[in-house]
Amino acid sequence: MSALTFLLWVAYPYAAAGVFIAGHVLRYRYDQFGWTSRSSQTYENRLLRWASPMFHYGILMVAGGHLVGLFVPKQWLAFFGVTEQIYHLGATGLGSFAAALTVAGLGILLYRRRFVDRVRMATTPMDVVMYVLLTGAIGFGTIATVAYQVVGGGYDYRESISPWIRSLVFFQPDPSLMAGVPLFFQLHILTATTLFLLWPFTRLVHVFSAPVGYLVRPYIVYRSRDAHRGTGARQPRRGWAGSQLPTRSSDRRP
Amino acid sequence: MKMPKNSAFAARGRVEAVTGTASDTILSLGRFLRKGEASTDLRSVFLEGGRDADAFYRDRWTHDKEVRSTHGVNCTGSCSWKVYVKDGVITWETQQTDYPSVGPDSPEYEPRGCPRGAAFSWYTYSPTRVRYPYVRGVLLTAYREAKARTGDPVLAWAEVTGNPETARAYKSARGKGGLVRASWDEAAEIVAAAQVHTIKKYGPDRIAGFSPIPAMSIVSHGVGNRYITMLGGTMLSFYDWYADLPVASPQVFGDQTDVPESADWWNSSYLIMWGSNVPVTRTPDAHFMVEARYRGQKVITVSPDYADNSKFADEWLSPHPGTDGALAIAMGHVILKEFLVDRRTPAFTDYLKRFSDSAYLISLVKREDAWVPGKFLTAEALPDTPATMASSHFKPVLLNQDGVAIVPNGSLGHRFSETDAGKWNLDLEGVDPLLSIADSPHYDGATVAIDMPRFDVAPTTEDDEHAGGTGVIRRGVPVTEIAGQLVTTVFDLLLAQYGVGREGLPGEWPTGYDDASSPGTPAWQEEITSVPMQAAERIGREFAQNAEESGGRSMILMGAGTNHWFHSDTIYRAFLALTTMTGCQGKNGGGWAHYVGQEKVRPITGQAQYAFALDWVRPPRAMIGTAFWYLATDQWRYDGLSADTLASPLATGTFAGRTTADCLVESAKRGWMPSFPTFNRNSLDLVDDAAAAGMDPAQYVVESLKDGSLAYACEDPDAPENFPRVLVVWRANIIGSSGKGNEYFLKHLLGTDSAVRAPESPPDKRPNTMTWREEAPEGKLDLMVTSDFRMTSTTVFSDVILPPATWYEKNDLSTTDMHPFIHSFNPAITPPWEAKTDFDAFHLLAKKVSEFSAVHLGVRRDLVATPLMHDTPDAMATPHGVVLDDQEMVPGVTMPRLTVVERDYPAFADQLGALGPLTAKLGMTIKGVTYTPDKEIDYLGIKNGLVESGPAAGRPKLTRDIHACEMVLAFSGTTNGRLGTQGFRQLEKRTGTAMAHLASDNEGRRFTYQDVQGAPVPVLTSPEWSGSEHGGRRYSAFTINIEHLKPWHTLTGRQHFYLDHDWMIELGEQLPIFRPPLDMHRLFDDSIVGSTAPTGAPRSAGKAEVAVRYLTPHSKWSIHSEYQDNLMMLSLSRGGPTIWMSPQDADKIDVRDNEWIESYNRNGVVVARAIVSHRMPEGTVYMYHANDRTINVPIAETSAMRGGTNNSLTRILLKPSHLIGGYAQLSFAFNYLGPTGNQRDEVTVIRRRSQDVEY
Repeated sequence: MSALTFLLWVAYPYAAAGVFIAGHVLRYRYDQFGWTSRSSQTYENRLLRWASPMFHYGILMVAGGHLVGLFVPKQWLAFFGVTEQIYHLGATGLGSFAAALTVAGLGILLYRRRFVDRVRMATTPMDVVMYVLLTGAIGFGTIATVAYQVVGGGYDYRESISPWIRSLVFFQPDPSLMAGVPLFFQLHILTATTLFLLWPFTRLVHVFSAPVGYLVRPYIVYRSRDAHRGTGARQPRRGWAGSQLPTRSSDRRP
Repeated sequence: MKMPKNSAFAARGRVEAVTGTASDTILSLGRFLRKGEASTDLRSVFLEGGRDADAFYRDRWTHDKEVRSTHGVNCTGSCSWKVYVKDGVITWETQQTDYPSVGPDSPEYEPRGCPRGAAFSWYTYSPTRVRYPYVRGVLLTAYREAKARTGDPVLAWAEVTGNPETARAYKSARGKGGLVRASWDEAAEIVAAAQVHTIKKYGPDRIAGFSPIPAMSIVSHGVGNRYITMLGGTMLSFYDWYADLPVASPQVFGDQTDVPESADWWNSSYLIMWGSNVPVTRTPDAHFMVEARYRGQKVITVSPDYADNSKFADEWLSPHPGTDGALAIAMGHVILKEFLVDRRTPAFTDYLKRFSDSAYLISLVKREDAWVPGKFLTAEALPDTPATMASSHFKPVLLNQDGVAIVPNGSLGHRFSETDAGKWNLDLEGVDPLLSIADSPHYDGATVAIDMPRFDVAPTTEDDEHAGGTGVIRRGVPVTEIAGQLVTTVFDLLLAQYGVGREGLPGEWPTGYDDASSPGTPAWQEEITSVPMQAAERIGREFAQNAEESGGRSMILMGAGTNHWFHSDTIYRAFLALTTMTGCQGKNGGGWAHYVGQEKVRPITGQAQYAFALDWVRPPRAMIGTAFWYLATDQWRYDGLSADTLASPLATGTFAGRTTADCLVESAKRGWMPSFPTFNRNSLDLVDDAAAAGMDPAQYVVESLKDGSLAYACEDPDAPENFPRVLVVWRANIIGSSGKGNEYFLKHLLGTDSAVRAPESPPDKRPNTMTWREEAPEGKLDLMVTSDFRMTSTTVFSDVILPPATWYEKNDLSTTDMHPFIHSFNPAITPPWEAKTDFDAFHLLAKKVSEFSAVHLGVRRDLVATPLMHDTPDAMATPHGVVLDDQEMVPGVTMPRLTVVERDYPAFADQLGALGPLTAKLGMTIKGVTYTPDKEIDYLGIKNGLVESGPAAGRPKLTRDIHACEMVLAFSGTTNGRLGTQGFRQLEKRTGTAMAHLASDNEGRRFTYQDVQGAPVPVLTSPEWSGSEHGGRRYSAFTINIEHLKPWHTLTGRQHFYLDHDWMIELGEQLPIFRPPLDMHRLFDDSIVGSTAPTGAPRSAGKAEVAVRYLTPHSKWSIHSEYQDNLMMLSLSRGGPTIWMSPQDADKIDVRDNEWIESYNRNGVVVARAIVSHRMPEGTVYMYHANDRTINVPIAETSAMRGGTNNSLTRILLKPSHLIGGYAQLSFAFNYLGPTGNQRDEVTVIRRRSQDVEY
């Protein structure tokens, strides 16, 4: 095992995962007001209303595909009767559709980012870095899929990449699995890893704030005060302890 | 916290429609997925805690203290604000809401404010804040070297300015940066040394001070004004200089300006907003107008553009710019015909007889085959007038119903003499005056044809080309003979002037409203203004009808749009004629409401004592600003405006061969208007020289003038000994905001780069009473020192810049005429960095001056030449306004009054900080009423304490800003009921009518500074003003005159339609008349409006150009130059210099919205971006005035220098009638009368410029 192999397929993924987790914790802790998707909808809406759903639904499908492909062992699917051929057809077919949706959406978003003045002026340097990595990851993934799965004979990453990922998860890293992986898959993985590394410092944090809860939440939210908290930023101190207000019956909830 | 199941909310169908069972299912599913308890209808969820985010908002809006303050100088809003401080930093401000109620049945004043005021706190820590004293490096180096050599600051200054090379070096560097920080001590030393040197070498009147609008920070203005005045320096007027003074007000009312408070708009039932864009320029007050509409008020706007206020209007009239006078004349024509001739409306005739000069007799003068109106017939002409009658030349005459000549009470002649005590009133004592000669039962049908001028015609002949187009119209009036003189009444003349015919009168009369050929009719005005004749007719009729039915509640709210023209006095007189002939003046809800730069210092008596140092030295030197700048900036060398071109075609030739500059010189020499610098010799030395010659100083001056060893400085303003040498500017922005003729300021006053494009006048157009020096001086000023918390166009050209406190960092007082309250400035923080309050800064300067004076000046005697003053017997210096030539020089009668005063320069600083002896000795006289503040002086000694030692020992202290506030409050009738009552009792002795009850119920009330810190306090009724707040009524001007028969301060004591001074007759302006904007093409060969002919201006070849009218109205996003550089206002507006133009004009030069354009005329050039808007009429552009050079000003193609300001295209033009003095209401008082710095008649050429701008 060369040092490079270790660096690329063991050290770097772990470092990225560490930064990913610690970064999110820190950012959530110290920069909640900066936790945002940096929506540019007020600057431009006509392109966005098409591109944004295309990209987001597409990337969600892509994410789902990756989950199945990477974390569900080949044998498990085989147990349920999903043969290599069925899997390949499903993954390539659905994957291509999702990729097409994602790439088209991303294309429009990039066009808009670059050529709509008001959106461009609202773009930060970090946004640019993020877009480059995102485009790189999606681009390499798409090229790999097209080159090996669609046009080529098919490459069974479930024999190499998937076990490697799982080896990382189980803290039994086996970088040798990555040795024979084709270049574009490697590039795809490295750009994606870098993207994960920078993730907490970009607008991508909004992934964790997707308002899914709104689906099941009544739309008026009443929050009573915490019994132990004051009204300002500081904890109440001795000498300023508030008086205990009796709970009126009219305040009780239904 | 429960949402009941059957609540109306839940039961609404709309809610049901958007929530179906599917969503309910999902929501009820949510019970298993989230915390909290949901209501039964699944609309609400109840959670505990999770409110940490609240802390952010709570902290955001917490603050440590809240301080009352307001915004000063040029904003007339005078809104009280809460200023918030957090951790020692000013954070934001909100509007105060504690104004006292105006009573039931009216909207309230609170809250008041506007986006500009709400943005003020940005300035405190902004990049534009001046934080340290600055001196231009070139000057500072030279000064330090000279001081090191001489060891004395004053000698050092003499050396720096005396060496032509050094002087040239630092003067030509003005406006080009190079400012370096200096210590307060050193900056103050330079300023004081310059002043002491100037006093010693040239005389104290070579020091000028400029600071406007005392009302909105009385003490900050007052301390500098007191400083300059005590030095013997000249304070420059601003109201007339800003062209905000409506000269018609002194002409018609004998009053500077007195108008209703904004709450009185609510009482009006017919409101015309005429050239005043209320929502934009009177933002906090506009709501009264908006609300009054719901009470049924009809609102008319008159404006050439679709101004913001038009959207509130029931009807919008859009006359061509500057033609408003014609519209008003036509409306007057309809009113006179329908309400005073066809039908004599009793309310109107009664009002005209009692409160106007309508019934007074005018003698007629034979001129060729017709007659012309001449002078008021006065008592001395009547055969039975006793020779002993006092001031009989100033007691005009009218006829009673029997046609017998009567001398009614209340005229100027009754005002001052002992024998007429108790007769200066409007009581007609049973006499029913004859309004028209034809009304007399003895009228024999006699008529004569009189000739009247008209100025609305195009020039007909080549010779006439420069006369601007005049004609004569002949119309008849009924006449009778009194004491051998043919006379008619003012009312008869008025009907003739307005073209309202009656049976049997000779001359040309219109055939009807639709007769456009005869001046005065609605059809005639339509040809001039473009306003449909039906609209003029209808609105004129409605205005009068409403006045009749409502008892005078028709109001004209007028403003800069009609007041900044060369001939605005004629426009305003036509407006005032409407409110007077319908009996609206002096009625709540009626009359004129002029709001342009008004500056009502409600506690005027105390303010005048403090600011003009009347407690130490009288009289002060106060100068008409326009004339000062006109001479100091050498605009007179370029002007060449022939006074004759302005004259009536019926003139006798008084103005023949003379320029308006010659009129200025004559006015100064006759003592009509002040003139500082006065003589071509040092006024201190004059007294010494007189003593050496063993003569009385006044006599010495007269003799020296006669033998030519002494001359007036205004005759030779380019002689070095006559230059103003030191200019002190504070609370003002002369270069960026008010300096009409900006480029001339830069060139001649400051001696730096300028873009003046005009040639000097050719020899045949030069003034013939002034010395012409071939070489025009450049850089007349030795020192310009400016105190401003912002970097402005003025500070960047100043030699020394001082950092003052902002309005949130000092104690002061504020009043306005928009509301009746007096309230306070208070420091929210101490002045940050090295800023000092104006009060402390001037006291520091004074200490330096005293220190240097001990060596260089000592105690000196100074000869002060002051003009003939209004509200004094001086107003009777010119009987009948007959201007005689070759009169014997008599100081105070035919020439300025000459007074010798003592100036104790070493004690200067001590005197500045103490109340002097003259207040007790001579009392305080304001508008002819003398107050005796004996108890108040004692009180002030206790309240402020007494000075312990030094030259002012034992006198009440004025060493802190609050001391001065207390003095102003204690010494004014509006804030001290005892003085108000005392003043009315004094006045009662003159008028013989009861008035003291207006104030006596408040006799025991005296406001302290603490009172006005607590909340805005409504002022008390006082004879200082013409209206009454008594009993909680809304203030409206002249209600005391109407209700208590107190005369106006005019010749007849009534409102004047007719003015009979010789110069008024020469100008053809005896009566309201339409005069169009100046024809700049004929007068000065400027481009014709609408012309697209190439001008040949630099780099204009091959580019389309268009000539347009150039107007500079008030902006929505600034108060003059204030706020236009404020980040928040820049964000709300387009920011930087912009010119609004119509799509039609934009098409002509192929310019699109927001493109860069260049605008130029003979005066200079300005670069701006075009705002192309259909709101603008073709042929007119607006450049909202006062964009400082500090914001987005690129280099101009035309001049290859940094593009100028809005005033780079304007200049000063003097109107001779504004220079009249020494005659009744046409007498000087500070900011009361003087030539206006008008600027609306200008024409400019615009082209699209290269879009690549460089800075």
